[in-house]
Amino acid sequence: MALSIAPVATGPALHAQVDLTARAGLTWATPLLRDDIIDEVEVRQKLAPTLVLGASLPIAPRYDAGLELTLTSSGYRASEGETTTDLGTIRTGSVTLGLQGPVATGLKWRAGAGLVGYFPKEEIGIFQSGGTTRFLAGAGIDYRRPMSPSWQLIASLRYDFHRFTTDELQSRGFSQSQGVQRISATVGLAGGSR
Amino acid sequence: MRPPRRLGRWVAVGALLVACADIAEPSRGNAYEWRRIVTTGTGVDTLSFHWDAADLPVRFWVENSLNLPSHVQQGIEQWEAVFLYGEFSGILVSDSSAADVIVRVGIAPKGGFSITRLARGMAPECQGATDVELSAAGNQILRPIRIYVDPRFAPGSPGIDECMALTTTHEIGHALGIFTHSPDPDDLMYADPVVSAISRRDRSTAELAYHTPPTLSIEPR
Repeated sequence: MALSIAPVATGPALHAQVDLTARAGLTWATPLLRDDIIDEVEVRQKLAPTLVLGASLPIAPRYDAGLELTLTSSGYRASEGETTTDLGTIRTGSVTLGLQGPVATGLKWRAGAGLVGYFPKEEIGIFQSGGTTRFLAGAGIDYRRPMSPSWQLIASLRYDFHRFTTDELQSRGFSQSQGVQRISATVGLAGGSR
Repeated sequence: MRPPRRLGRWVAVGALLVACADIAEPSRGNAYEWRRIVTTGTGVDTLSFHWDAADLPVRFWVENSLNLPSHVQQGIEQWEAVFLYGEFSGILVSDSSAADVIVRVGIAPKGGFSITRLARGMAPECQGATDVELSAAGNQILRPIRIYVDPRFAPGSPGIDECMALTTTHEIGHALGIFTHSPDPDDLMYADPVVSAISRRDRSTAELAYHTPPTLSIEPR
């Protein structure tokens, strides 16, 4: 009996502390790859529409811990001199576990680490042996402005860094990996019962 | 004093991460000569070609005989997989009048004055040839490029189907722009090919061919 009551008793208390966010925006990224055949060939994602979902819980009076799921989808292309070739569509999904704390009124920092996955629509070219999953670290700031007692407008800026390669590139003798930096700007809503 | 030093260390580590950010490309120094070098009265003429992005996908018409459509489809897919940056793609078409490349079963007819027969591939059980016809000025390839693949024994004999498959892929390699043969028997583009897959050397050669400005263009569609 005690076991069955316990979740009911603690559930609302936990629920009341959860902060949820949903944001949309754009992500810009540095090149995924630089190759040198005769001239330099550069592969990069186009500016990507971005959806971010987040949830966080307070872990100390001024600090929260939370998960953030970021999804992007965009074309990617190869450029060599003035020639550009569209290579298809690439989707990425990243999950980061992070900490956040206050900077000033309405402004919070966030830092986190996690994984980013690349999911090509077509398995061709650099993705012909499939997508890839890489470690990711990033940081950013959130600005919140109250709209109602339970909803806030949120604007976020994020930076993250990971090293990119694929099984296909490794099988062809590409060594090391390419540092990829991404910057995203998103706006949305934050809510919860806090 | 300690906190600034620690901060400096972290900044240095971060800067190092960003500075070491580039992937290193593989060596492609194993490529062989793919251009056809023709002696002329005044010297040599170097003939090189690749399909331009605007010409893709290259349209192949294939005679429906001896499993040739399947061999051509597999050959196209093998060559597409060579490239990382969308340099080549091909499709089969049903109308030969709309084709960039025509593939037939049979022995290549004798070439005319303007027809350049790219060195013939001859495996033990079958043979192939690719004919490229040049314009009068000699700087443009006329459509279509013609590929011939011929069994040297009765169809159905052991090894014929495998030979037709690898010879077809070999000849498609010529139609892509590899106008010569590899000197190495481990390569599909060797004159008498025995391997069925495109080798690393074939791949490096094709990559170089597609990133080097060609001396020949193709007749506009």
